Amino acid sequence: MSSTRHSPARRPRRLRRHLAGAALSAAALGLAGCAGAAVPGGEGDVAIDYWLWESVQLPGYQACADAFEAENPDINIRITQYGWGDYWEKLTASMVAGAGPDVFADHLTMYPEFVSRGVLLPFDEMEATSDFDGGDFQEGLAELWEGPDGRQYGMPKDFDTIAIFFNHDVLEEAGMTAEDLEGLDWNPEDGGTFEEVIAHLSIDAEGVRGSEEGFDPDNVVTYGLASGGAGGDGHGQTQWSWLAASTGWVYTDEPVWAEEYNYDDERVHESLEWLFGLVDKGFMPSFAEVGTSPNPTQQLGSGAAALSPNGSWTISSYTLLEGIDLGVAPLPAGPVGHPVSMYNGLGDSISAQTDHPEEAAEWVAFLGSEECQVLVGEQGVVFPAHPAGTEAAIEAFGEKGIDVEPFTDLVEEQHTVLFPVTNYGSEIGSILSPVLDAMYIGSADSSDLTEANERIARLFD
Amino acid sequence: MTQLHGTAGLGAEAVARREPENPAEQKRPRRRLSLGRVAAWAVMIAMLLITIFPFYWMLRTALSSNSALYANATSLLPVDFSWGGFERVFGLQTVDEAIAQGGSGAQLNFWLYLRNSVIVATGITVCQVFFSAMAAYAFSRLRWRGRNLVFSAFLLSLMVPIIFTLLPNFLLIRDLGLIDTLFGIMLPGLFMAPFAIFFLRQFFMNVPLEIEEAALIDGASKVRVFFALIIPMSAAPIATISILTYITAWNDYFWPLMVSYTDDSRVLTVALGAFSAQSPQSGPDWSGLMAATLVAALPMIVLFSLFAKRIVNSIGFTGIK
Repeated sequence: MSSTRHSPARRPRRLRRHLAGAALSAAALGLAGCAGAAVPGGEGDVAIDYWLWESVQLPGYQACADAFEAENPDINIRITQYGWGDYWEKLTASMVAGAGPDVFADHLTMYPEFVSRGVLLPFDEMEATSDFDGGDFQEGLAELWEGPDGRQYGMPKDFDTIAIFFNHDVLEEAGMTAEDLEGLDWNPEDGGTFEEVIAHLSIDAEGVRGSEEGFDPDNVVTYGLASGGAGGDGHGQTQWSWLAASTGWVYTDEPVWAEEYNYDDERVHESLEWLFGLVDKGFMPSFAEVGTSPNPTQQLGSGAAALSPNGSWTISSYTLLEGIDLGVAPLPAGPVGHPVSMYNGLGDSISAQTDHPEEAAEWVAFLGSEECQVLVGEQGVVFPAHPAGTEAAIEAFGEKGIDVEPFTDLVEEQHTVLFPVTNYGSEIGSILSPVLDAMYIGSADSSDLTEANERIARLFD
Repeated sequence: MTQLHGTAGLGAEAVARREPENPAEQKRPRRRLSLGRVAAWAVMIAMLLITIFPFYWMLRTALSSNSALYANATSLLPVDFSWGGFERVFGLQTVDEAIAQGGSGAQLNFWLYLRNSVIVATGITVCQVFFSAMAAYAFSRLRWRGRNLVFSAFLLSLMVPIIFTLLPNFLLIRDLGLIDTLFGIMLPGLFMAPFAIFFLRQFFMNVPLEIEEAALIDGASKVRVFFALIIPMSAAPIATISILTYITAWNDYFWPLMVSYTDDSRVLTVALGAFSAQSPQSGPDWSGLMAATLVAALPMIVLFSLFAKRIVNSIGFTGIK
C-alpha cells in the first residue's frame, strides 16, 4: 500500500482526509485492477456452444464445425472440451445455474436424469430435428435416446463394443498365433478354453506358465488377463459385461427404461466369481496392484498383461503403444453359444436452456448427418453411428494396420446387449461400485450383490 | 561435508571416552560428529531424497515419450527422451502431432492462461489481504458494540465447507453477469477471508497499545494509525498471509472451472485439466500432465524461495515485545 510510505505530517487534519482518500482510492484501484476481464465477444451472429469430453475426437468435430459454418455463415460453433470428471461436474452445475452449453455430448448413464428433470429439448419441438429418422443409424442406437415419453432426446453419435487387444509377440513367445484366440469358449464353471489360454499366457517370476506345474500365483510377472477394475460405474462395461451377458444374463427386465435390475441373478454372480477368482489363480492382477484407477492399456503396454479387453473407443490409445505388435481378438463365446458385447452409444443433446433452439437443432441435425459422421469416421477414433461413418472409420483403422472386425462383427451379427438405460443412473452406480470393489478385493460375495439389487429396487418404488 | 570428514578422524576411542562424562556437559552443543549426528544426517539426507524424488519422477516422466512410457514403466531415466510434453504445455504442437504422441488434443494457449492466473492470484491477494487487514484491525483494536459476536460469526464461517457456498455463489455471479470473466473468478475471494482476519488479528493485538496511544495523543486518526503504524509493524505477518493467499488463489481449481467458459478467462490450473483422463478407461497424457504440473508449480517455487525466510521469520514472530 503506497499510503504506508507517507511521512509523518505536520497538519494532521489535512492528512487525515488525504489518507482516507488514499485508502479509498487504493481500494478502488485494487478493485479496478481486479476487473480487467474480457467478455467473450460474439461475432454478431448466433453462437452455439458445444461441449464434449474426448479430446482425441476434437479434430473430427472441429472439421464438422468448419463444414457447418461454411454452410451456415450466420451460426458460429464454439467447441469446448473438458476431461470426463470435470465435464459432468461442470455440466450439472451450469445446468442448475442456467449457464450450460447449447448442445453437448451426452452419455446413457446421465441422460435419463436430464430427461426426468426436463433439461433437454425433445427433437420434435424444433424444425431442423423434427424429421429425425432413427433408421439412418446403426440398428438400435436411436432407440437408446428415446425418452419414456417416446420423444427423441439425443442424436446418435457413435457406438462402441468390446473386444480383446493383444501383442502378437507375446503370443509368439507362448507358441501361439492370433488364430488360437479365435473361437474360444467360456463358461463360469471351469472357464472353458478361454481360461486355458489365460493360464498359458500368465508367467511367474521363474518363467513358469500358469498352465504348467509349479506356477507361483503370488509372484506373477505377466498376467493372462488385464484388469480394468471391478466395473467402476457399476455396469462393468469393459470388465465383465461381456462375460455375464454371454451366459444369457441381462441387466434389466426391459431393454430400456426398465424399473427392475437383475443383480440378484445367479448367472451374474457366477460370472463375477469366476472373474475375481482369477486373482487367486494368478491370472489377473489384484485390486491392490491396479489401484482405484486401473488402466488396461498401460498393462498391455508394459507387458504386465497379455490380453487386454477394452472398448472400441480406446483403439487409438492402443495403437499408440510403442513396441507392441498390436492385434485385436474377438470375445470368447459364452454358454449362449456366441460372444456377447455391450452395445453402447453416445448422443448429442440440446439443452432446454439454450437461447437459440432452432440454431442448436440445426447443428445437432448436422452432427447426425452422413457428411459430419464420415468426417468423424475418417479420423479413425470411434465408430460413428451412421453406417457410412462406420465404414469410413473401419477404413481409417485399416490404414493404421488395425483390423477392427472383432468389434464390428458383434453389431452385424447382433451379438450385443444394450446399455441399461434407466432412471437413477448415478445412484445405482454409487450403490454398486463399492459392492463390486469389495467383491474384487474379496471382502464381499454375491449375497452382497443381491442385497444391492434390493436397494436399487427401492429406488424405483 | 567438512563435518563428515570429521567422523574418520574421530576414533572409537574418542567416542568411548566422551560417554562417561557428566550429563550437564553433554547438553552443550558440540560441533564434533558423534554416531547420533551421523545417524541424524543420514536420516535427514534420506528424508530429503524422499521429498525430492517425486519431483525428479515428474521431470523424468515429463521428458519421456508418452507412448513409450508404459513399455518401460520403472526406468529411472526418461523413457525415449522427448520434449513433447513441454511442447504440448506451451501449445507448440499441432493437435494432430499431440494426438500422435498420445497426448491431449486440447489446444493450449499457455501464455494467456498464465496471464489470467497472475491477474487472478494478484487481484485476490491484494484485495483480500488489504480488506482482511482492515477487518482484523477493527476486530483487534477498535471498540464497537457486538464486536465479539461478529468475530465469532466470522470464525464460524471458517467451518462452512466450500461446497455449501459453491452454487449460491455461482448463481450470484451469473446474475451479476460475471460468468466467464476474470472478475467473476476473483470476486468471491476479493473481500475478506476469515482465516486471514483471524491470523492478522492475532498479530495486531500484539502491537503495543502504548505506541498506538502515543500516536493518537499526537493527533493521528485511527486511519492513520492503521496505515502508518499497524501495517508497517506487521509487515512480516502480512507478507506471510499474502504468500499463503497467493498460493491458494493460484492453485484453486474448482471455482475457476465453474466460472470460466472460454480461453479469455481460463486460468492455468483449469487449462492443465486437459491433460488428465479424457474418458473412462483411457489413461491421462502422463508426460504432458507432469510437464504441465512442473511448469505450473514453478512460479510458486520461485515465490517461495524468494520469500521463504520471511515466512519462517513471521511464523516464529510473536509480536513486538
